[in-house]
Amino acid sequence: MDSATLIQTLLNSVVTSSVYALVAVGLAMAFGVMKMANFAHGEFFMVGAYTVYVLYQLGGFNFWVAVALAIPIVALLGVATERIIFRQTGANILAGFMATVALGFVLQVAVGRIWGVGLMKRIDTPYMGAADIGDAHVGWQRLLVIPCAIAMLIALRYFLYNAKLGKALRACAQDPEAAALQGINIRNMTMLAMALAGASAGLAGALMAPIAAITPYMGHGVILIAFIVVVVGGMASIGGAVIAAIILGFIHTFVATLTDSLIATMVGVGFMALTLVVRPQGLLGREKS
Amino acid sequence: MLLELKDVWIHYHKVAAVKGISIAVEEGGIVTLIGANGAGKSTTLRTISGLKRASAGEIEFAGERIDRVAPEKVTKMGIAHVPEGRRVFPYMSVVENLEMGAYLRTDKRAIEKGYEEVFEHFPRLRERRKQQAGTLSGGEQQMLAIGRALMTDPKLILMDEPSLGLSPIMCREIAKIIRDLHQAGRTIVLVEQNARLALALAQKGYVLETGRIALEGDAKDLRENEQVKRTYLGM
Ligand SMILES: Nc1ncnc2c1ncn2[C@@H]1O[C@H](COP(=O)(O)OP(=O)(O)OP(=O)(O)O)[C@@H](O)[C@H]1O
Ligand SMILES: [Mg+2]
Repeated sequence: MDSATLIQTLLNSVVTSSVYALVAVGLAMAFGVMKMANFAHGEFFMVGAYTVYVLYQLGGFNFWVAVALAIPIVALLGVATERIIFRQTGANILAGFMATVALGFVLQVAVGRIWGVGLMKRIDTPYMGAADIGDAHVGWQRLLVIPCAIAMLIALRYFLYNAKLGKALRACAQDPEAAALQGINIRNMTMLAMALAGASAGLAGALMAPIAAITPYMGHGVILIAFIVVVVGGMASIGGAVIAAIILGFIHTFVATLTDSLIATMVGVGFMALTLVVRPQGLLGREKS
Repeated sequence: MLLELKDVWIHYHKVAAVKGISIAVEEGGIVTLIGANGAGKSTTLRTISGLKRASAGEIEFAGERIDRVAPEKVTKMGIAHVPEGRRVFPYMSVVENLEMGAYLRTDKRAIEKGYEEVFEHFPRLRERRKQQAGTLSGGEQQMLAIGRALMTDPKLILMDEPSLGLSPIMCREIAKIIRDLHQAGRTIVLVEQNARLALALAQKGYVLETGRIALEGDAKDLRENEQVKRTYLGM
């Protein structure tokens, strides 16, 4: 690998890690509060991308306006998922699994019906050109993902550790009954967690819209990776998800550059298996007390 | 009466854990529920605070029915529950745990006074205010669980086996705190395995046997009762 390719691959790794982190953090946070996984999380990402496609490409909105709108739109989708699905399934894991898988299909079909399933959608790149770093070229559109993801992650962290509501959310994840005894409404907290999960997945999809292939099925690959990241990070651990996202982002990008992306995914799964053997609770996972 | 249970039944699926108990708690007093493992003490407390639903009967608090009220609303009405096993938030600091106790309160100055009151009762918590709750000792966690309950500014405190697993010294410390809280005018329902401790602290007691009230009366009469002596005081 020459130095230009190396720099390029390093930067691409950071971009990939940023997207993984955004997607995985929401999955982990919702899991932390509900102890249930949202299998439609990949479709949240897809809806974020379509929001940009529809508003920016079809609607002529400014790119950043479209990205900013994707956040509340997908957050609302998260809230709706809580009210319509998780509130009904309660703690029934099998029901939650089936209902969210079904929701994923419904979203795919709905999007496909409205905007077509044929060729992938093209989006005019809002920021053309590339940064020249040494001999490497990395598109601006790609690089933009990094500061946006970092800003979102910092905002989330600030909220969880400094705002009263954020602390209440953490309390719920640690012991829902004890939280209820302090006067915290668990359902509202679950809704909040799903809103934040939607917001971050929506932002990830929106940022990726100009550089990814937009199809109704684009959530598949995303959720697979997100699950690997969350398992490696330690299921409910948000910090763990970020660290795992960085590690897996680098692994995936390097292996994909050197070989191909199928092998990269296999290596990712292998890394997850290895982690689980060495540390069954994940990198920052908390053992059940 | 501040709290009244009238012929309350509580089931787990089809099995009755509590079979028609009636309990009355006067304002400003300490009432204890004692009984063997599985007698239904925790179940009773969990039902008062709304974590579990009664299948029949009524629960009244300060003149209002609370047997269909969600736990967060029961807390808002003024009942704090120090649960069995402490249940502090293990990955939050001592201060954050206390802050969660004050979750429903908005008056900043009153909350500050709340912290001061807790730290006066438990100077040890002040020293360890930044420490993660999960790394506190058992006794310190119990103090934190009580402190967190105090932060809700309760009219009534339900305590589920606060002495469980604590050293005799720590038990005495907890007993002193319960007395202090009583002196400060708080009403307390105390569930204990340690009947000796409970009957020494309380004015009134109920003996629960497999979901029924076997005996009730003044704590000092129960202390003298032959059956209680034999079964619960080991004399
Ligand atoms: N979640 C549950 N599901 C089914 N049965 C339960 C559950 N919790 C308690 N029980 C049963 O209800 C009965 C009363 O239990 P409870 O926990 O109230 O007893 P306790 O008096 O608090 O006992 P201990 O002193 O051991 O804490 C027991 O027979 C117990 O097995
Ligand atoms: Mg008990």
